[in-house]
Formats: sequence, C-alpha cells, structure tokens
Amino acid sequence: MKRRQLLGALAGAGALSAASGPRRATRSLPGNCGCAPQIVTATDKPPGGAAFRDVGSKLRITNMRVFGVTLDERIAQADRPYVFVKIETNQGVTGWGEATLEGKAGAAMACVMDLKDLILGSDPMQVEHLYQTMYLGSFYRGGPVLGSAISGIDQALWDIRGKVMNMPVYEMLGGPVDARGVRGYYHASAWTLPEARELRDKTKAAGVTALKFQLPDLLEWVETNAKIKRAVAHMEMLREGLGPDLDFAVDFHARPSPTVAAIILREIEPLHLLFAEEICPPENVRAMARAVRHSTTPIATGERLIASYGYTELIDMGVVDVLQPDIAHVGGVTALWKVSAAAEASGIRMAPHACEGPIGGIASLHVDAAGPNFLAQEICGFVDAGEKNRVWEDLMGFPAMRMVDGRYPLPTKVGLGVDINEAALKRYPFQGTRPFVMAFHEDGAVASI
Amino acid sequence: MRARRRKLPGAGVAVFAPPDATDHPLKIVGLHAWRVKEPVSNRRYTVVRLESQGGTSGYGEGGPALAAEIAAARGAVMGRRATDSEIIRAALGHVPSMEAAVGNAMLDLVSRAKSVPIYQYLGGPVRYKARLLAHLEGKTAVESEPSLERAKRQGFQAFTMAASQRDAMIPLRAYVDLVRKHVADMQVLAGSAAEWVLDGEGAMTPGDAATVAVALERLHPIWFDEPTGVITPDGLSKIVDESVMPIGLGRAITEIGGFQRLLAGGSVNIVRPDLGRNSLTKIKRVAAIAETHYVAIAPFHNGGPIGAMAGIHLNAALIHAYAQQIPVPASDRDASMRAEITSGLKEAGDKGFFALINRPGLGFEVNEKALDAYSEERI
Repeated sequence: MKRRQLLGALAGAGALSAASGPRRATRSLPGNCGCAPQIVTATDKPPGGAAFRDVGSKLRITNMRVFGVTLDERIAQADRPYVFVKIETNQGVTGWGEATLEGKAGAAMACVMDLKDLILGSDPMQVEHLYQTMYLGSFYRGGPVLGSAISGIDQALWDIRGKVMNMPVYEMLGGPVDARGVRGYYHASAWTLPEARELRDKTKAAGVTALKFQLPDLLEWVETNAKIKRAVAHMEMLREGLGPDLDFAVDFHARPSPTVAAIILREIEPLHLLFAEEICPPENVRAMARAVRHSTTPIATGERLIASYGYTELIDMGVVDVLQPDIAHVGGVTALWKVSAAAEASGIRMAPHACEGPIGGIASLHVDAAGPNFLAQEICGFVDAGEKNRVWEDLMGFPAMRMVDGRYPLPTKVGLGVDINEAALKRYPFQGTRPFVMAFHEDGAVASI
Repeated sequence: MRARRRKLPGAGVAVFAPPDATDHPLKIVGLHAWRVKEPVSNRRYTVVRLESQGGTSGYGEGGPALAAEIAAARGAVMGRRATDSEIIRAALGHVPSMEAAVGNAMLDLVSRAKSVPIYQYLGGPVRYKARLLAHLEGKTAVESEPSLERAKRQGFQAFTMAASQRDAMIPLRAYVDLVRKHVADMQVLAGSAAEWVLDGEGAMTPGDAATVAVALERLHPIWFDEPTGVITPDGLSKIVDESVMPIGLGRAITEIGGFQRLLAGGSVNIVRPDLGRNSLTKIKRVAAIAETHYVAIAPFHNGGPIGAMAGIHLNAALIHAYAQQIPVPASDRDASMRAEITSGLKEAGDKGFFALINRPGLGFEVNEKALDAYSEERI
C-alpha cells in the first residue's frame, strides 16, 4: 500500500492517533549516531520530564491525533485538505490546532505523527520548551512540512493553555489592543468596471472595508509593454470602480521578477493600494529589495517563510512594510507572535496570511488582537458567504471567520475558542493529498504560482 | 544594503479602544507605590502594588520614579484589566521605570489570580533552574571583597567586576596593565572556579574599550559589559571588529528599536535590558528579536529583590536567557532589608543556579511592613 493510501485509509477510519497507554511513563528518545559523543541523551529534561517535576504542571499529554479533512472540490481548493491536530491530556483538557499545508497534506499529517515521541508524556503548559524541542530537536530546522506540523501542535498547546488558565489566548498575549475586533479583508475579483462597481456596493453594504485581488496574467521574468499595460489597467479599473475610500490590496503571487515588479509598482503608486503582496519570489531578500526601492506602494510578503528566523533579513534590511506569516506554517501562535514582536520594533505591520481552514484563521485572530502593529487579517472567503462557510459552521458550530462591520469579532471562549465537532469531521473524510495547481507559460515553461 | 521603506500610517503608534473592564475580577482598582532606598548602598527603586476588583494583588519593581510619574501610571492603569499589558506598555512607554513596575505587577497579579508562577504564564519553564550572576559592589578588589564573600556564601559562581576607569594622565599601556591587575586580584579573591563579567559601566572610549577587549580576550571573561556609552554603529564596530570578546550592551536602552538596531548591526553578543526600566513583557519582545540573531539575553539589574525575582521568572521562560544579574550587598543591613522585603526568601543559589519556585506569581509574599520601613515615601 502506498503511503498516501495508507494515510487516507487511516484517516477514513477516524484519525492518525498516537495514544500513550496507561503504562507509558517514558518516551522513546532518539539514540546517538556516534558522531556526537558529547551529547548525553537526558531522559529527565524534555518537557514534562523528571527535572521539571517540581516546577511544571501536573498535566500530561496522553494522546495526539491528526485528522485529514477533504472538502468537495466545488467548494474548496482540492490542493488543501485541512489537517487538524487534536491533543488530549490526562485531565480531560483538549486542544485543537491546524497544520494544513497546500499540496502536501499527507506529508504534514505524517510529520505531526513523526513528532509524537517528543509530545506524548509532555507537560502541555511548557509551550516554549515544546516549540524549541520540536524546532531545534528536528536538526533540519524549518521547511514548510516541519513548520506546518509544529504549527498545528503549537496551536493545540496554546488552546490547552488558555483553557487551563480560563482565558482567551489573546489575553494571555497581552491583548486585546482593540476590543472591537480584528480588521479583515476578503478575496475578490472583478474584470469589468460595472463588476467592480457592483462589488463596491455589495462590499460597503456588508460593512467590509478591504478586499484583495490578483493580477490578470501570469508574468515572465521580462515582460512586454502589452502585459504590463494590462496589469496596470486592471488595477486602475479596480480603483475607479471601488472608489477612493475602499482599501484594496493586489497579490502578485510571486509571479513577476523583481525587474518586472519594479515597473508595475512604479505605475500603480497613484492608486494607493493597501499593499502589493509577494511582488516577486520570496527566497532572495536582496533581489526583492531591488524592486522595492523604486516604489512608495506598501510591500507585503512572508506567507512562505518559516519560523521567526525566516524574517530576520526582511526586518533588518527594512525591505517591506507588511509581513504575512501564516500561522499554519510559520510555527503556530509561538512563532507568529515572535515575528510580530520583531516587526514592531522596525515599524513593520502584520497582515497574517490565512488561506487554509478555520482553526488557523481563528488562531491568527488571537495573535492579531495582541499586536500593536497589526494591520489586517486575511481569510480565503468572499463578501458573499459561500458553501465553504456552511461547512465551517458544520465543523465549528458557529459561522467562523465572518466579519461584522469590517472586523472579525474576538473569540469570547477560553483557549482559541474552537471546538471541532468530530462527528462532523466524518462527513468530510480525507481523500488523500492533491498537488498544488500548476501553471505554465505560453511556451510550455513552468510558471511561478 | 538598506532599501528605502516607508512606514505605513500609524505603524508603531498604538491607538487603542478601551476594553470593557466593568466588573471584571481582573479590573485594576488600586495602585500603591513605595519609593525604596537601601540604607547603606543608597540603591533606590520603586515598588508598585496593584489591586484587582477580585481582591488579588500583584507586585512589581522599577527604577527610581518621581511622584508625578507614579501618578501618571495610576491614571493609565486604573480601570484596565491586569491582562491589558500591551495597552499599558504603550501608555507608559515614556516613563520606563513605571512601565517596568506596573507591567511586572500586572503579570504578578494575573499569575496569582490563575494560581501559576509568572514563568508559567510567560510560556512555561524552558529550564528548571536559572543561572545567577552576582553584581558586586565596589570599584577595587578591596572594596568588592565583602560583596564577593557574601555572594560566594550565597552560592553564586559568576560575578561582575567593575573595570578600572582611565585617568587622562595614565598612558594606555599602563591603563591596560591596571585593568589586567584588577582582574588578577579579583580572580585570586574568588578562586579559580569563578567566572567573570567585566563591567565597563559605559565609561570607556570605544578606542580604550577595544584595546582592553583585545588585551583580555584570552582570559575568556563571559563577556565585557557596557564597555562604552558610545552606542553608535561606528563606535561599537571599533570594539566588535577588533576583538572576539563577547560584548554586552543595552542597560541604558528603553526603546525596543534601540535593541533592534544593535542586533541588526551585529554590535552586541549579549543583550542587557535593565529590569528597572523595561517590563518582562517588553523584554520578551526584545528576546524575540535577539533569538533570530543567535544572541543571548541577560537582563541587567541593580535594583531590589522583587525585580531580581521577576528576572528569574523571565529567565525560566526564555530559551536563550543566559543569566540573571542580582546585586549582592556589601552591607549586612542592606542584605537584611532585601530578605525582609521577600519575607525571608533568599536571593541565593546552589552551585550558581537558583531553583525555580513553583508558587503563584512571583513565588513569595511581599512584606509591606518592610517596604514601609525602608521607603522614602509611600504614594
């Protein structure tokens, strides 16, 4: 049986589970390969170990389960089955988190379970110690698969912390800085001026204050006058149709090169975008800086970066105005908070990415609510609540991630404020990993997506 | 290379809507402050007690504060929830000593209300014992000896030593020899197992500091603290480029952006925010930046025992926290006063480490009678 089929079969049966039996008092810690004889494998010092007996809590993690959740292709992108993590404790307190990874659901689910030896038997209140245990202890630091797995586990740990402390997570982080809630934006598209005007009216009627669009074309690393004009004209049309007082951002989706991005950014300055997102691929900060220096349009990036370390150059070099970590990839509440804290000192604002499931979106709200430098929260939803929102309500028991007067209301329940209905999960069984949608240029070459 | 980047409107400026604290048990309904002075060293600090509507109190310590600053802090905090640490951090940013005192008192209050130690509230313990660094009194070996002996008895194994200051008439070579002799004298007093932090107290020129750093780097002090007060990129690069001596900096900085500039410039190896002028909440944010630069954090402290114990809690919750500095008085009267304030809890360790206390809040009862007795003024 192939690994993907195995994961699917297990998920269909309920979930991947790493329960510890009642006798389980020690975890199977990795041995030494012999190349590092100075390392002493200490069984008493991991989270919840004997060394922490007198300074930690009595809570212990007894089980960790991972759920793959596939929605119908007609209501959600097929490349991102939701990956939910549930952690159970010896005192009945449970926590939920999200480790959804676009195009790599099976890998994320497997990675969550790969971390089980570090998690089972641990004290869930030691969230920083557990984060470092998973991140540093994995040796190969970062990457989206490990980052997403840590994210799901970390969110679940914070959920437990909040429930134990009897307070919402945003209060534990020092918030809220604005009790009215967290400003958000929806995704949108409009291809003609009448469509844009209709969208404006509908958006304003819903009390929403910001939207995000995409460029009309894939772009190559050098572009023609025609394509550049088409991109600029599209954004000019949007501004004209939406009017001057509705904020909108444009996601370049890392498709242009810095060379092409610089030309477009120069042209669209008068449109006063909320921000231009991922104006070029994310790996090379200096290359991005080349494009940024020619524009006053606020620049946003960061959804593909992992752990707070991934943002250091962007912050130190002052390349961008807005950072967009994704709480399902960056390392959960712990890492998103650290990125936000580091960005604040440099006057960089936060607009966290969220294009997966509802747990991650709600977890983001908690960090957003505690950040003085917060700008806006994304969610892959539209002004008109669609069928996906019905599914989310089925899973969560309430209409998750819907704005009221332009803001997501703050969760009022303790922890993250989510409680997934496991019976509902069975209505959306995991159908296996699906690859990220591919794009190609006119000549057949692979395009950046 | 630095790209031109503009701040978005409002970036870094917090505009807050007040959360509804009506009838919430964590609503702050009282602030009392003591301006404390130690009888012999004249070390001064401010202790704040916050009271919540639910009847829980929390204590925090900051540096010396004026009565007007305490009054301003009271105006900012009354009616807020004790969890509103980001709002209070912004509101008191211009009064660092009160930002520290009030911010830490809020943490103590919430932690007591939730029946957990502060370190648990901050993210849980990443270690079960915290390394100690004794801040010794005195400028010379003779002056420092009483403080050193007390620190040794209290289980400290790492100590600060004040670097000799240079008189303008002393040639550079003679000055370096003077510092070297002072180090040697202190090492004899403390024994070969002792570890040292050389404290420049911000008094050297960058040039003198660089020369001293190069001369002493093979003695391997843990770090050279605040070698100069000239914390400009050019001034600091003279020191960090010319030597491999680890450099500790930051005791005079109260803006997180100031720490960020040091870290981005590669000018610091140990970040040293002063506990008297930065709350644990603020220092945790500094630590988030330092972590990405692989730089350790070791808060500076030359205040009272409530601040010292707050620093222990922070140390317990930060993976790259190295040590907590604690002043060790030369005088018995000062030492006795500090122990009275903490109701007998000793600022002491075992083999250089302080064993964490798993009790709510700071982990000890603050003795208000002692605060009354040793305060210059109660406000």
